[in-house]
This record gives sequence, C-alpha cells and structure tokens, in this order.
Amino acid sequence: MVVVEDELSDELSRVFAALADPTRRAILERLAEGDATVNELAEPFAMSQQAVSKHLKVLERARLISRSRTAQSRPCALDPERLDRAAGWIARHQKIWADRHDRLEQHLAALRAKRNDA
Amino acid sequence: MTGVSDGAGETGELTFSRIHEASRELLFDCMTMPEHLAHFWGPAGTTAPLDGIVVELRPGGRFETTMVSDADGSTYTMRAVYVEVRRPDRLEWIEPGVEGGMRTTITFVDLRDGRTEVITHQTNVPAAYLNAEARAGFNTSLDRFDAYLATLI
Repeated sequence: MVVVEDELSDELSRVFAALADPTRRAILERLAEGDATVNELAEPFAMSQQAVSKHLKVLERARLISRSRTAQSRPCALDPERLDRAAGWIARHQKIWADRHDRLEQHLAALRAKRNDA
Repeated sequence: MTGVSDGAGETGELTFSRIHEASRELLFDCMTMPEHLAHFWGPAGTTAPLDGIVVELRPGGRFETTMVSDADGSTYTMRAVYVEVRRPDRLEWIEPGVEGGMRTTITFVDLRDGRTEVITHQTNVPAAYLNAEARAGFNTSLDRFDAYLATLI
C-alpha cells in the first residue's frame, strides 16, 4: 500500500530538507567513509568550525547523523537508517509509476482490441 | 522506457518516462477520466474503484483517488489539486498534504509515429538520490536503492 503516515512524512521532510544542501551531502559522504570530529570535517570544506557545526545540527535533527555524548571531541557518525527510509520512499514512488504504466499499457491494448472488433 | 534523471537541480526531481502506442489525446484522457483511471491507477496490489475517483478537470479543481488494497481492503486516498490542465500537452497537480507539497507534472510528447512519450516529473525529491556522484558516496546505505535503479535504467 502507499500509505504515508503524517509522522513519517514529517520525518522525510526533515531528511529531504537536510539533503538539499550540497555541503551537508558532502559531509555525509565523508562520514560514509568513517566517523569524524568537527575539526576533521571542517578541514576539506575550508569552513569555520562554527559553520560546520550549524550543518551538523541540521543533519542531527534529521537524524542522519549521531554524535557521541561521551568523548570530548564528540565524533560524528552516519546514521544510515533514515537514508534507507528516504531511499525506500523514492523507490516506492518509482514502483508506483512503473506499475501504473504497466496497467495503462494493458488498458490501451484492451481499448485497441475492442476497436478492432467493432 | 524508464529512466531517472541525473544531476537535477537543488530541490531535486524524479523523472519517470514511458512510451505508449497511443495518441496524446487518448493518453491525456486516460490520465483524467475516471472510467479510464479505474483500470490502471491503483498500483500493483491495489485497485482504484470508479466511485472513489474525483476529477474536476480545471486549474484549482480536485483530483482525488482512493486506492483499495487487494490483500486487506485498507484504503489510501490521494488528495490533489490541479494546477495546469492543457489537453493534450500537459497536466500538473499538487498534493498539499504530502512532503510539504508534492508536485507532479505529466508531459505528453508526440513521437510522430503513432506513439507518445509520457514523462512524469515529481518534485520535492532530493537531488542527492539522483546524482550519480553523490550516490556513490552513500554506498553503505543506498545499496538497495541503487540495485532498484539498475532495474529501471
């Protein structure tokens, strides 16, 4: 079924909004290679730690990353569950359209057959 | 023919294309007339009964379909509003309640050999999933998605 619950929808909106920014996508790509601290993340982007922290907050709120509460350096880690869900959402939509067009094709063939009979 | 666009804009968009052996007019009617929609609108595992389809074919008019699950009879109603209605070229609607506003545009392209390409755009989908380079970086979590895309392209 194609049920999209409100809660899930809100969560996806946050994920999609977080992913709309190229810097945040780059941060996620970096984290896909392994955990990193704010310092390590700021380096390749030529950005202040403050600017990176802002992006990290958005990613954390979307629960795309998690940050250690124990270590002093608070390393960031990719949290793949939300990405999985968002990717699944897109895959479902693609499938809905594919199914729909498969059926439309059958419907058109039925219309043609009917016309030929007439 | 099916495809997913690459390197879409910042907001991202998802494109689905299929070629049918029919005129633009017939395909436009299929997408906008309840008696046609009832035959194909509900995706696999569901049906969209005629009495659950509302089409007010004008900008600002409603486009609603109730899909019923074959398995357990549960229903889901898509509630959309037409933005543009231009037979036989273009059809556009938005679903205000989905993802902060999901916009769907269907373009009907005459291939001049009796066939028509039907191109569906859905926006409010992040570019991150559609850009091959970005996708490669997400390999741990997007493996399943990529596998799915591969079956489409």
